[in-house]
Amino acid sequence: MAAQEKTTAAVIGGFFKAIGAFFADFGTAVAKGDAFVKLSLVWMGAGYVKRKQYVKAVLMTLLEIAVILFTVKFAMQYVPKFGSLGTIKMEKVFNMKTMKSEFNDYDNSFTILLFSLFSFVVWFAAVIVWIKNVVNVYELQKLEEAGKHINTFKEDLRSLTEEKFHITLLTLPVLGVVVFTLIPILLLIFVAFTNYDQQHMPPTELFSWVGFNNFVSLFGGGGLTSTFGYAFVRVLGWTLVWAFFATFTTYIGGILLSLLLNNKKTRLPKMWRTLFIVTIAVPQFVSLLLVRNFFSNGGIVNTICSNIGLTGFLRSIGLVSTSYIPFLSAPGWAHVMIILINIWIGVPYQMLIATGVLMNLPSDQLESARVDGATNFQIFRKITMPYLLFVTGPALVTDFVKNINNFNVIYLLTQDVYTTTNQAMANSQAKEVDLLVTWLFRLTQDYYNYKMASAIGIIVFIICAAFTLFAFNRMIKGDKEGTYQ
Amino acid sequence: MKKMKDSRTSSIVLHNLLIAVLAFIWLIPIIWLLCTSFSSYPGMNTSTFFPAKWSLTAYQKLFHPDSVAQFPQWFLNTFIIACFTCAISTMFVLMVAYATSVMRFKMRKPLMNMAVILNLFPGMLSMIAVYFTLKSFNLTNSYAGLIMVYSASSGLGYLIAKGFFDTVPRALCEAARIDGCSEARIFFQMVLPMSRPIVVYTVISSFLVPWMDFVYAKMILNAGISSKYTVAIGLYKMLDKSLINNYFTQFCAGGVLVSVPISILFMIMQKFYVEGITGGAVKG
Amino acid sequence: MKKVVKKVIAPALAVAMAASCTVCVNAEADETIKLTVWGAEEDQNLLKELTDKFQEAYPDQTFDIQIGVESESTAKDTVLTDVEAAADVFSFADDQLADLVKAGALLKLDDYADALQLAGKTLDDVKAANVDGSVEAASLDGSLYAFPRAADNGYFLYYDSSVLTEEDVASWDSLLAAADKAGKKVGMTLASGWYNASFFYGAGFTTGLNDDGTTSIDWNGTSADGYTGVDVVKGMLEITGNPAFMAIADGDISNQLASGNLVACVSGTWDGATAQEVYGDGYAATKLPTFTVGDAQVQQGSVAGYKFIGVNGYSENSGWAVLLAEYLTNEESQQAFFDQRESGPSNKNVAASDSVKENVALGALAQQAEFAQAQKVGGKYWDPAQTFGELIAQGTLSVDDDAAIQEALDNLVDGVSAPLE
Repeated sequence: MAAQEKTTAAVIGGFFKAIGAFFADFGTAVAKGDAFVKLSLVWMGAGYVKRKQYVKAVLMTLLEIAVILFTVKFAMQYVPKFGSLGTIKMEKVFNMKTMKSEFNDYDNSFTILLFSLFSFVVWFAAVIVWIKNVVNVYELQKLEEAGKHINTFKEDLRSLTEEKFHITLLTLPVLGVVVFTLIPILLLIFVAFTNYDQQHMPPTELFSWVGFNNFVSLFGGGGLTSTFGYAFVRVLGWTLVWAFFATFTTYIGGILLSLLLNNKKTRLPKMWRTLFIVTIAVPQFVSLLLVRNFFSNGGIVNTICSNIGLTGFLRSIGLVSTSYIPFLSAPGWAHVMIILINIWIGVPYQMLIATGVLMNLPSDQLESARVDGATNFQIFRKITMPYLLFVTGPALVTDFVKNINNFNVIYLLTQDVYTTTNQAMANSQAKEVDLLVTWLFRLTQDYYNYKMASAIGIIVFIICAAFTLFAFNRMIKGDKEGTYQ
Repeated sequence: MKKMKDSRTSSIVLHNLLIAVLAFIWLIPIIWLLCTSFSSYPGMNTSTFFPAKWSLTAYQKLFHPDSVAQFPQWFLNTFIIACFTCAISTMFVLMVAYATSVMRFKMRKPLMNMAVILNLFPGMLSMIAVYFTLKSFNLTNSYAGLIMVYSASSGLGYLIAKGFFDTVPRALCEAARIDGCSEARIFFQMVLPMSRPIVVYTVISSFLVPWMDFVYAKMILNAGISSKYTVAIGLYKMLDKSLINNYFTQFCAGGVLVSVPISILFMIMQKFYVEGITGGAVKG
Repeated sequence: MKKVVKKVIAPALAVAMAASCTVCVNAEADETIKLTVWGAEEDQNLLKELTDKFQEAYPDQTFDIQIGVESESTAKDTVLTDVEAAADVFSFADDQLADLVKAGALLKLDDYADALQLAGKTLDDVKAANVDGSVEAASLDGSLYAFPRAADNGYFLYYDSSVLTEEDVASWDSLLAAADKAGKKVGMTLASGWYNASFFYGAGFTTGLNDDGTTSIDWNGTSADGYTGVDVVKGMLEITGNPAFMAIADGDISNQLASGNLVACVSGTWDGATAQEVYGDGYAATKLPTFTVGDAQVQQGSVAGYKFIGVNGYSENSGWAVLLAEYLTNEESQQAFFDQRESGPSNKNVAASDSVKENVALGALAQQAEFAQAQKVGGKYWDPAQTFGELIAQGTLSVDDDAAIQEALDNLVDGVSAPLE
């Protein structure tokens, strides 16, 4: 969100400034610290012992031992092989005596990559803690010199519910994100620079670094099917169109529906709301697979349409060339249907959010507007809508990005149903209704082409990043965080 | 005078009629799901909207597990996973949202920028890395692993909750601080009760995750032991080409049974929804 | 030279080892052997029964055998995601063999043939017991990689004999004409490289799998039988252009069958039960019809498919896993599979039994067998072939436009034979 408040340059500038300040503190601490502060460079508990913070000293020492043990016992198995990603291929012999296979100590490129990365992240965190520790110990020294009170351990603990409450709040969530999102993403970035594909699948085969080769071949440097670029452009185009419509139709639909339901004229608003919410309560894979069968070529809607003569009518005006209406199996038809079906599943969600937000609407503003004689529409335009945009605006941008990566809807609606008739697309394993993510998913699932999938994944990221920066800078200007507080 | 009242009534009728029509459109597939689940024919019915013969066999079969369908077991598994996921995710989301909305500290903006960047990557691709991370902790084929996958990164979805916390009047918090309240107390005793809708929203959406996901679940519970499945994988597998003809109706019945408790949950939550706000301090 | 030496020495070694080995294995007997088996959902009960019998056959050894669900058609995807976590013994369809071998997910059985001594067999016994096609399909570069379990993974024609006569089903022309007269339809899946190849194979065209994993394909030229690809496509278009023909999406045949529109359809044993139910007394099955290419009637070919049981290349207790896989595919087990699951056996003795011969679907499969061939293709084959079939099914191509047909065929060949990246 900070990106919206400053220009990119300012953000980056601020970032480097912060880093600079961080190291400057460290430098001062090392230069001006006493013997115990300097000893803390080697033994992280040293400074605390001097200031009688024994519990902290023990904790820090334990942490240091843990990092060293981690390095020796775990990291050293993998990190030295990071440069080559392994050299020993799997071999095995059958031992008739034990009826078992005996394997050699083979390398697995993927685990080497993953655990090396893991080690790098741990080491990075350890270095930060180490620097921070020296700075802290120096602070203690200054406090002591000034004769000020030094916190006991109990007081330190208490500060975690007071001014340092954010540390208590953020530690676990950040840790979760690092392990389950950050490291996998870093891994994906690294894989884009290797030759991890069906010819080089661990554990049986090894893969290795190939530099920028994958990107070169992605942009027409050969090696790939000649239609790959053709398919890429089309899939990208539909991805953007889809993300735009999916985001705005459900957003606007949700607000309208919630206004409709929250209107004074509505009788039994709770009941209606519940009815709409029932569509959310049915898990997506059930409702989407159901709708897919509902609209399939031989499905119920087609039966009804042909019974009432709609199919015949559409044939006669040339909209349909088959004996059925290809709701989900022809380009154009499928594109529109997918967006419509997405409205069906997306609007109740957005209605739920909008209702929640509308109830928090600052009522004093509404009152004064009414007193001033504003019409309902004016109130909506001048107060309700800006408020809604303020609260949900950032979410709108993230929704757009989420829709670019919306796997479920497209996959469940088109997998096994949609067959492309465009041979150039088919030759690159793509379909007209594919998003970049569903295409990637198939590339990895059916063709084990992890290196290209990762390369395209990075491109997706760049597109999303460019859009997000653009949107935050253009759509939402200025620091509005405090406006309604 | 009377005329005016008439036009008011008719506008109310029109208004409610519009809602009714919309609700009907929204419910057609659900009605079809419900009807099909009561069909006596086990495969998919493509010729009529309503089944030719009504029966309860699909439901009976669901509760008499065979090697393919062990619905009660799946339901229990998913429920356990959903409870843990819900608790952890809700906690994480609200914690992050509070920290970034109400508190001010040095790392606030860098962390928020990181979150924006991380959200931009297609999650599908990192699936295999997540799998091998879990495997290295020996957590594949375990519910703990699945719970972690569902909830560990949930902190990234804090933006909506933060947007909500941003609307809580800052003056109240300041006043509480001056009164000597700790941040923890402000969080638990002031901000949370005032933000019930967003708490409800977070609870519901995180509780739903395990019921919806089949991609990760299929990958992590990969030993093929059917009694360990979640509802999502179990039902999804019923649509396998070789099974769909004998299990489609059961699939629908399973879908209905999953939706019922979730719908009830939604209905109860809805009450909180309205009450939480009208009684809250926001109005004052 | 090397081979000769091996042939001489191997039996000698085998005898020596057999003598010493029963003892050694027994010495290790207190260790519990853990094995996992993956099979199709519908086979779970039978697998349990068979693994129990397997354990009884080796009373001195304690086993812990777990059975999991993995459909034969998707086994490759799950296994290759994490080979080390996959089951020790798993069943899969024949088209996955090449990819599985390349990823090291299948044990080269030649290296483990010694283990079979405990069952009193050799690898040659296994090869001799099963039909040649299945053994060939389970082998790569002359080594056996899996045990054949079933030979029923192919397709033929189901029809309603109360409406259609045997003459009607002999050719597509008469079949469609008769169906049209009865106001019914004939269904076949075209949007799948597995089905639509049947027309090309029938006319003498081929596909092949190269050593580097790419596919060779000659459909845009002239076949060994002297037909051109364009003529074959025209023959297919004649069929799809007939109002009595219904192109059906892959996997949707049984739905359409059940809805009662189809008087005949091209499918396999998996739809046997549905067909039997719908056609009742008229339930019949036979080989595929002939179709028109140029002026001639050509017998439609088909893909001969098999189901295998293989042993994971990363299995720890590989010896016992090999024994178990062999047990699950031996004559008695295949008999059980036929009795309980109507699975078409690859074992010669079981296949020759009267009960198998009397089975309508398997009988039709046997009739079709002489026109069937193993489909050797790489991963790049499927998507382009599916699209090509859809082009024909939707009637996008026109019978009169030779140039467009040729171009579509050229595109198909380009896509299928593209190098792997």
